[in-house]
Amino acid sequence: MAESEVEPGKAPREAGFTGTPEAWRITDPRWSRRDFLRTSSLAAAGLAAGPLLAACGGSGSSTAASPAPAGAIPKPRPGAKIQLLQWNSFVPAADEEIRRQAKAFSDANNVEVTIQTVTGDQLQPKTAAAVEAGSGPDIIQMQYGWPHLYDTACLDVGDVVAILKDKLGAINQVNDAFCKVNGKYLAVPYAQVPNAWTYRTDLWQQAGFTSFFKTWDELAADGKQLKSKNLPPIAVSLGHAYGDAITMWYPVLWDFGGREVSSDGKHVTISSKETESALKWAIDTWKNGYISQNTLSWLDPDNNQAYHSGLITATLNGASIYIKEVYTTATNHKFAAVSDNADQAKSATSAATLNLIFNHAVMKWTQEADTAKAFILYLMDQANYTSWLNASVGYNGGPFKALSTADIFQKDTKLKPFLDVIGQGRWPGWPAQPSKATAQSQVQFVIVDMFAKAVTSGDAKGAIADAEQKLKRIYELPS
Amino acid sequence: MATVTPRAALTRLAGPRVRLFERETHLGYLLLIPALLLLLVFVAYPFFFGIWLSLSNSQIGQNGHFIGLGNFQFERSDTVFIGAFMNTVSYTAITTVFKLGLGMIMALLLNQVFPAQRFVRAALLLPWIIPSVLSTLAWRWMFDPTFSVVNWVVIHSHFSATGVDWLGKTTSALAALMIVNVWRGTPFYGIAFLAGLQTIPVDLYEAARVDGASRLQQFRVITLPMLRPVLLVVLLLSTILTFADFTLPYVLTNGAPFNSTQVLSTWAFQTGVNGGYIGIGASISLVLFPLLTVIVAGVMLTLRRPE
Repeated sequence: MAESEVEPGKAPREAGFTGTPEAWRITDPRWSRRDFLRTSSLAAAGLAAGPLLAACGGSGSSTAASPAPAGAIPKPRPGAKIQLLQWNSFVPAADEEIRRQAKAFSDANNVEVTIQTVTGDQLQPKTAAAVEAGSGPDIIQMQYGWPHLYDTACLDVGDVVAILKDKLGAINQVNDAFCKVNGKYLAVPYAQVPNAWTYRTDLWQQAGFTSFFKTWDELAADGKQLKSKNLPPIAVSLGHAYGDAITMWYPVLWDFGGREVSSDGKHVTISSKETESALKWAIDTWKNGYISQNTLSWLDPDNNQAYHSGLITATLNGASIYIKEVYTTATNHKFAAVSDNADQAKSATSAATLNLIFNHAVMKWTQEADTAKAFILYLMDQANYTSWLNASVGYNGGPFKALSTADIFQKDTKLKPFLDVIGQGRWPGWPAQPSKATAQSQVQFVIVDMFAKAVTSGDAKGAIADAEQKLKRIYELPS
Repeated sequence: MATVTPRAALTRLAGPRVRLFERETHLGYLLLIPALLLLLVFVAYPFFFGIWLSLSNSQIGQNGHFIGLGNFQFERSDTVFIGAFMNTVSYTAITTVFKLGLGMIMALLLNQVFPAQRFVRAALLLPWIIPSVLSTLAWRWMFDPTFSVVNWVVIHSHFSATGVDWLGKTTSALAALMIVNVWRGTPFYGIAFLAGLQTIPVDLYEAARVDGASRLQQFRVITLPMLRPVLLVVLLLSTILTFADFTLPYVLTNGAPFNSTQVLSTWAFQTGVNGGYIGIGASISLVLFPLLTVIVAGVMLTLRRPE
């Protein structure tokens, strides 16, 4: 027996517990406080409910539908009520389309589907609270690697994924990696928010450029030119922005060859000459003012606001900036005619992107699993999904081969860069598979902070040492 | 055969019940039950549940088991945790000193008679009344390096050519957190002190003036001692609330740049809720409990001490 494991029936200290991360293994088969509370309250509720139900002529059984047999297509149960929790999209029309589809599904099947939306940064606390309480929405929109974080609360939806794979073809590798936990699909692949560069063509021309940068070195050279002409800078977040900061700095790390952890997810590999090269590029670019130096505290909306205010020339983002300029009647869409988009930058050997990923998990506590699964299948129906893609005007991309494009991408060719980057998407922690540790590293902004620390201190080695210490603590915790 | 009149039967039935309610001790305990139940459900249960979590290896959605002080030992070697601890202590100490001083000045000024006195009193409460998220967002925009009104003033006053990246530098970011906290918290001190000032009999000041006491002497010998109970209670409440402040640091910087503005509440949230390690998160948030207990005990003892 390992030194730090607790022997059943023996107090942890007697068992030689040292407080090391090994102690994080959850192996105790004994009753926990929650088991006791759950069992006793269920027993009490059962005792109390029995006579009441008998008096009402009931049998005490649940009204929930029994699950469909394996291999069958899940069918909605008439009278069922389900709730889907998701974020407020940066493109409100996309949410309106989801609500329209929910109503159509509800009317057609005599069920009631409610769409509950919260801000992006509130979605995870709400999800965590529901998981901890063991009750809440029937379906939750899981971002990034949440199915790995909340694996104990997600139903196996392998049957739904199999149906969709048959109809829609292969799954994008990022959605697949996030949805599949230990070989089981705990979420249904739903969407990506591709990230590409949005820039001002008028300023680009004033700087004397004929094309947008394609590599990181060209980005630095173009930033230098913008600075010499006293034009607004290229700007990307170096703060704790849960979307924009990680979508920029992980690809920089990967394209220079740096990796935070080995492919088996066991060994921290951040300390390398490749990581140092990435940091040196960032230090040179930032210190010389080739990218904005005012972004160390930027959160996700800040680059949008700076672009719409005419304070920056280019930024890496989802399509929301471009959409607001071109497709909405907002008062500040003054750059509609001079806004364009371009692919993510790359290096000579690598072209990586990190996109915001959404997947749908059916939660274990739901009494209406089949209705929830049927609704997800309805949303993923090619016609419905394409309608949603078109409503979101290029902000979202599909996770299955047959959903990889929509009319909007053909109608507006300026949106094509967003379509292009979907295929090259990776996930935090890559090349290791997503896990609790990769998710922990992501939410602690270890990689972003490494870049932020390096550019402000000019000390690449010091920033790497700091990140390595943090990553070792994280990857030492079992996932 | 003995007959029992209905009235006698009623008296006999009601007897024990009436006697029960006639005893003040029993009635007192009975009336306490609802309040005790509320305290048990909303204060005691979350508190003890938090302690249990901090001593377990629980993760979100997974029951853990008891691991003693393992979480506390694990956090002891975490540089971010140590930084957050130091930030929390300095954030609380520095802002409390400023809020105390400014709140006292505010109360003394508001205690004077001047035109539009009621309007000014109400207006000065605004920072405390506005929801923290909204006011902090407004401050975030004011501190923004690219379109900040603060920087506009700095540049146009020729103090600096480029303005200050308030939230982007480690020292100024923490200072910005403190400035907003002082702005938000001072009215609470001011109004509480004002209420205290208004309970001090005017005769005392008149007698002091007759004896030739200066303004400073009046403040030192009459105002401060008479305000002591209010001052201590306000100090206690404010210290506890500032130690646990979450909204302001979370909205203003969320720990950036590179965790330099991380405080214990935001770090606990990041680790325990977003990261899923709720046991570690609970231990981070409970680490100040012993220190706060000592502070609370000290204030309570001082309050009970006779004049």
